Amino acid sequence: MVSWLNRWLYTTNHKDVGMLYFFTSLYFGFVGAILALLMRVQLSVPNNNFLSAVYYNQALTMHGLIMIFWFLSPVALGLANYFVPLQIGADDLAFPRLNAMSYWLYLAGGVLAVLSFFVPGGTANAGWTTYQPLAVLTPGTGPTLAYLGMVLLAASVTLGSVNFLVSIIWLRAPGMTLSKLPMFTWFMLFTIIAMLFAFPTLIAAFVLASSDRILGTVFFTSTGIQPSILWDNLFWFFGHPEVYIVLLPGFGIIANILPSFTGRPLAAKNAILIATGLIVIPLSFGVWMHHMFLTGIPVALQGAFSVATIAISIPFDVITLSFIESLIRGRVKFATPMLFALGAIILFIIGGITGVFLSSPVLDRAFRGSYFVVAHFHYVMVGAAIFGIIAGIYYWLPRMTGKMYNERLGKVHFLISFVGFNILYFPMNLLVDMPRRIFTYQNVSDWATLNGIASVGAFIFAGAQILLAYNLLFTWYRGPIAPANPWGSPDLEWTSQAEGIAPAVESGATPPVGGWIGQLAAAPSPAAEAHGHYAHLSSRPIQISLGAMLFLIGAAFYPDILGLGLLGLGGIVVVYSFYGWARDDLRGRFQIPPEPEGDRWPFSAVPKMKLGMWVFLSSEVVLFGSFLGAYIFIRAASGIWPIAGSIHEVPLGTFNTLVLVTSGLTMFMSLQAIRNGDQRGSISWMAVTFVLGAVFMGVKVSEWTNLGATGFALTSANPGIGLAASAYYIIVGLHGAHVTAGLLMMVYLMKKSASGFYTKDSHEAIENFGLYWAFVDIVWCFVFPLFYLL
Amino acid sequence: MYSGILSSLPSTVATYDFLFNWYLFFGVGAAVVVISLLVFFMYRYRYRGESGPPPVHKTEGWKIVLVTVLISISVLTAAEYQTFASFGNIEMPSQCSAIPDPCVTIRLSAFQWGWNFTYPDGKFAVSTQNQPLTVPAGTIVIMNITSKDVFHSFGIPMLDVKEDAVPGKVNQLWFMASNTGFYTDAIRCFELCGVGHAFMLGNVSVIDAATWQTQFGGVKP
Repeated sequence: MVSWLNRWLYTTNHKDVGMLYFFTSLYFGFVGAILALLMRVQLSVPNNNFLSAVYYNQALTMHGLIMIFWFLSPVALGLANYFVPLQIGADDLAFPRLNAMSYWLYLAGGVLAVLSFFVPGGTANAGWTTYQPLAVLTPGTGPTLAYLGMVLLAASVTLGSVNFLVSIIWLRAPGMTLSKLPMFTWFMLFTIIAMLFAFPTLIAAFVLASSDRILGTVFFTSTGIQPSILWDNLFWFFGHPEVYIVLLPGFGIIANILPSFTGRPLAAKNAILIATGLIVIPLSFGVWMHHMFLTGIPVALQGAFSVATIAISIPFDVITLSFIESLIRGRVKFATPMLFALGAIILFIIGGITGVFLSSPVLDRAFRGSYFVVAHFHYVMVGAAIFGIIAGIYYWLPRMTGKMYNERLGKVHFLISFVGFNILYFPMNLLVDMPRRIFTYQNVSDWATLNGIASVGAFIFAGAQILLAYNLLFTWYRGPIAPANPWGSPDLEWTSQAEGIAPAVESGATPPVGGWIGQLAAAPSPAAEAHGHYAHLSSRPIQISLGAMLFLIGAAFYPDILGLGLLGLGGIVVVYSFYGWARDDLRGRFQIPPEPEGDRWPFSAVPKMKLGMWVFLSSEVVLFGSFLGAYIFIRAASGIWPIAGSIHEVPLGTFNTLVLVTSGLTMFMSLQAIRNGDQRGSISWMAVTFVLGAVFMGVKVSEWTNLGATGFALTSANPGIGLAASAYYIIVGLHGAHVTAGLLMMVYLMKKSASGFYTKDSHEAIENFGLYWAFVDIVWCFVFPLFYLL
Repeated sequence: MYSGILSSLPSTVATYDFLFNWYLFFGVGAAVVVISLLVFFMYRYRYRGESGPPPVHKTEGWKIVLVTVLISISVLTAAEYQTFASFGNIEMPSQCSAIPDPCVTIRLSAFQWGWNFTYPDGKFAVSTQNQPLTVPAGTIVIMNITSKDVFHSFGIPMLDVKEDAVPGKVNQLWFMASNTGFYTDAIRCFELCGVGHAFMLGNVSVIDAATWQTQFGGVKP
């Protein structure tokens, strides 16, 4: 029997990971709410002294970051972890250990964010949008910890996106065609695609900002290159898709549960899917400059982004009207989940209308930076997203616990939440002249009254959530046994025993009272335990995340001796953990049952791991695209760049390019050899590839040493040199890190090959690594001309 | 806004007010219609204890989609037309390219935590010294806006003008003040710029154009 602690620390089971995400995100939501209440107390009357400016700025910054990144998306991911596999009829996600690691990286990032409050000088205080150069100029270790926490969180989200995308495509049960996919799963698919392409840019942005703070790079302190505009472009390219990343899970929940409470099918289901997947997601990446109307972009460009912004509202009109039409000739039952869903729709309509105002560059001249904007995005991100998620919580609580929540309490929770929300946020629509993020204000016209009302509303709204917490506890400890399908839903998570699809529960488990609900997933399964190992447990995910956390805490405190120590310790733990992961695989210590052949169209011919690698590499394209895009921006804006060829040794760079390209060829030869069943040939060619890769890195280290000796340094007195050095060391270093990771992977693959693991018919890992190595090659073909030749 | 104070609206305010009221009318109208529809359907189709299977529904979704798209495109296109028709508020006035220049240009450098104004004759005023931005009445004023340190946003809410002040870049906005007078705290910073953000205020003094020209105008180009 596995101890309770081991079960939760090492679990890879999707229900367990879902629970971990769920309760951790509720904790962070609580923290974010406390910070919000502190702000509202400070703003409740003019000239207040409850919070000083620096504390207020810290509260507003971390309220924003924590609510958006550590509460809203993770609570949706918690529900998605639990229910997407159930909805598609899968046993688990495609990569269970990766799933656990996504959670632990998320928590590790959260620890950094919380830790940042307790270091001298306090936490980040430049706003959640982290506008530059203020954000890199604010002193102290706290902001650095918070920003590195963001890097870990973004890595967590990116890895999670890969996992979910592969799972939804590849692990659907037989008969679970795309047309039968439940709406929540569809919307999580859309959300995850947006995450996959948005979060790598966030990683790039925060890596650049963190390196300014830690290493002394000068990306955001070089006035000549318009650092504020560089940051704005990076941040909002990520930031506007983020709006939909936050919003869509709630919409997916609404779409999923409406049929259960109207007794009729969702109206225009296909139109909703087309509107969201084919219009909203692509367009969300094309509207980011509407956050930058006032930065001095050309008027014609403002017009273009205004039109793009207005265009994205049309699919939302379709979605909203389809939701409304879904009530026609239905039998509408107002259970608590339905109340929250309907409330979400109403609040989204209000937030959407104010969004149209903000699409106008002319109107934005008044609204930008005011409380009108605050009202708009809270109506969308709290009103639609959080009310939608709460609807999902109540809807699925019977499935997660086997017990019914208190319906009366749920209705009261809704009423007070809805009223409190509107008391809190509606007055802000009228504060169009009041700057946001000011910690105090004089008694200007109506500001005191409106702020006072809003503050009262804040406490009403926050207080209502105590009822949710109480209802969760009530359900757990005293809830009556739930019916097997309390909402009469046709979806698989309720009906898996009622239809011909294999039940999405551990085989051999005894059905509890009320049907296939209520049990937390067993870990490990009895069959696995009989084999002397725990099929669903792995210590590596938490170890890697712990090591990464220690490493980044050390980085934040660098160059203090404590920082150096933690840096080293964290690095050792990460390396050891990856080594352990590899060794677990070599020894077959982590086994999951082979997935039954399911419905995988349109990727039926692509193996699971290969699909995962392609998806991962697409996020890497965005990552390098963001770094190189920033580099191009810097070059275009800078007037004092070193002359081409005056810094780097072009012949040496050319040689290195040839070496790396040749290694791509030898890697292909290795793959060809194993395809022909030639194991020895495959290992030999891979060894050659390894040597070439090592030569590449050796030349690079030598090059860096020489450059350092000649004064090509971040801290150069010559501003052009400092900026060029910053860009070179960070971006080329990132590529070098990828090469190094590839070398380590090759060692693993060669060892595995030597034991005869790969054959003519089974060599998927080598094929997948070939994709990775080809990617590394291709990136260098962009890096080399950009840094050496131009 | 402040339309009660100003007997004749500055041009930026007049344009803004028209556009705002247009959006307000259609925005509130749309919200009222759609939410009313939702509430009506909630009431009309509420469950009243009916037994037996619900009626079979034809797929009608595409009709509502088509109607929604057509109405949305129509209203939003009209809104966008109004926005484009208002771009005079954000483009620099073409008459300022004439010689002699009928407009005045004032340079603004934002800093933590104040505004530094430089007039054509080289005089400057600093908001932290309680020195106002002094502008001539009835004259187009162009502000060339930059920042000495971090990201600020220069706004005069009573005139509905605002532009970001960012380091390394010069942005522009224009306005025309109609009525002479001294306007306390008419200038505010609209981007978080550190602990002094709340106090990054400035006064505006609108004076007679001839007097302004004498005191600040210098030699006209």
